[in-house]
Amino acid sequence: MSPESSSLSTGRSAHEPCADRPVVLSTHGLTKDFGRLRAVDDLDLSVCRGDVFGFLGPNGAGKTTTIRMIFGLIYPTSGYAQILDHRVPERRQEALKHVGGFVDIPAFYPNMSGRRNLRLLGRMYTDVTEARISEVLDIVGLGRRGDSRVAGYSHGMKQRLGIAQALMHEPELVILDEPTSGLDPQGMKDVRELVRELGRRGTTVFLSSHLLHEVEQICNRAVIMNKGRIVVQGPVAELRPTDMSVKVLTSDQRRALEVLRAFCGTGAVVDDGEYLDVRAADDAAPEMVRRLVAEGIDVRAIIPAVEHGLEDFFLETTSGADSGTEPAGADAAAVPASEASTATSSGGTEPSR
Amino acid sequence: MSHLRREIVKVLFQRRTYVGWAGLVAIPIIMTVAVRLSTDKPQAGEGPAFLSNMAANGMFVPLAALAAMSFFLLPLVSAMTGSYVIAGEAELGTLKTLLTRPVSRTGVLLAKWAVAIMYVGVGMAFVAIAGAVAGWLVFGLHPLTTLSGGQVSVAHGFGLIALAYLMGLAGMACIVSLAVLLSTLTDSSLTAAVGALVLVLVLQALGQFSYFDFLKPYLFTSHFEDWFNLLRQPISWPPIWKALVTFTAYVLGLIGVAWWVFRRKDILS
Repeated sequence: MSPESSSLSTGRSAHEPCADRPVVLSTHGLTKDFGRLRAVDDLDLSVCRGDVFGFLGPNGAGKTTTIRMIFGLIYPTSGYAQILDHRVPERRQEALKHVGGFVDIPAFYPNMSGRRNLRLLGRMYTDVTEARISEVLDIVGLGRRGDSRVAGYSHGMKQRLGIAQALMHEPELVILDEPTSGLDPQGMKDVRELVRELGRRGTTVFLSSHLLHEVEQICNRAVIMNKGRIVVQGPVAELRPTDMSVKVLTSDQRRALEVLRAFCGTGAVVDDGEYLDVRAADDAAPEMVRRLVAEGIDVRAIIPAVEHGLEDFFLETTSGADSGTEPAGADAAAVPASEASTATSSGGTEPSR
Repeated sequence: MSHLRREIVKVLFQRRTYVGWAGLVAIPIIMTVAVRLSTDKPQAGEGPAFLSNMAANGMFVPLAALAAMSFFLLPLVSAMTGSYVIAGEAELGTLKTLLTRPVSRTGVLLAKWAVAIMYVGVGMAFVAIAGAVAGWLVFGLHPLTTLSGGQVSVAHGFGLIALAYLMGLAGMACIVSLAVLLSTLTDSSLTAAVGALVLVLVLQALGQFSYFDFLKPYLFTSHFEDWFNLLRQPISWPPIWKALVTFTAYVLGLIGVAWWVFRRKDILS
């Protein structure tokens, strides 16, 4: 179960996908070492104008380190990022005029009101008016709490204020580092709707997340990163494989393995010791049964495992990247289909809706 | 200028700003009240410099306060103020909020350093004013008897007091700069403050032993009392210039290293 069958690109072929659209953000061999640990390894990606770009990976994949390098907060060991025509870190100041966003948890001066924080930060750009500050506070739903001290804000309110400060100078590129983390379901919905709206208005958004369905819902392109490397990148529509997997139990597993491998391909069938785990097009099950019966093999059970959404793909790509052992997707498929579906669609930390 | 304005606004929005100033202002007032109420007036050579002169002339209150505070309280305030500059923002997480804007790190650092020195300067001005007012109300203001025995008018005396405070501020600028440097090296403002204070105390200790006399001219802490020379007639300028050159060298050296560190620092807070 590897992503090889998909049309997605991996690694270096990252700089052509924009076609005639200008590249707003790109990284070129971006690498960061912390002592002996390589946190980001030779990262190449490009974000085109108008993209809502998902930057996916499990915690510790190097997402935040990458974003810090894009903002010029930390210096790459080698390589560089480029925002429009400006290289970071060399021309960081020029580049950051076109960027708004936050990295990690947005932080503000606690003794000042949200509005005063925005005023203070807004003065660092050329034209952020008082009216614009009120407007962005309204956009993120803080209109009525804008004059309260940030010290009294909940995590979700700080997150919203973080988005407000990212938008106030109407930047060309908005970079949001896990913008829905810590929000309640309504807050998540609001933020996702806001990001979609930004995309519709033509703002380029670079959004990191470890929630795959979030990226599926709001992004048009994405990369999946693991252990500092890009595992795969491409349009989100292509990230979701169309096949499914079934578990097959027969009277003769050894021969069934051969038959099914002949039909579905060698890599698509794995013997997990109890069942044959078969990955195939979702209408292939009847034909599989016909072929097995034709070979005189009795089919004792055929269990639909889980539909392969981006979750599974993500788990496979991120766990398979460092070892060639059993992909995590197989574990998910070993539980009854109903449970597996709940477990994988919940995105880990978020309650399923 | 926008950097300075932003940093001043931030300082004015911190409660600690006012606590620090209030603490400083309290010292000359406490000294005045203590000397006024005690039946056993301090004798010449007793307690901090100029303490024994206070009862006769309120002009000496700000001078006695400066002499008394130069060795610990002002260094403490300077170390705490300087240490907060970068590490304090790192603790809040706002350093990254600040540096994701199109601003130069050099501008940010220099503005913060300048505002830290301004903070100490304003605090010292409050001490001088509180001392003068307390001295005036309790002991009255009279022509100032200089260390050489002559007298200068009250107005001239205030001029000398102002110069003494400015020189004191130059000494404190060394401590602020030292703390700013430590502040760029750690993400904990307390570590930076304690580090700066400990270094200042060590330098002061070195100055106490005659064995280390050869070091003395090069330690900024050895020049904290050189403003006394302003109170001679005529003013003894050479030690004053030496002190100012030493302070300037330390300030430039320390802030230069701080700039060099901060310029390429990875902001991970």
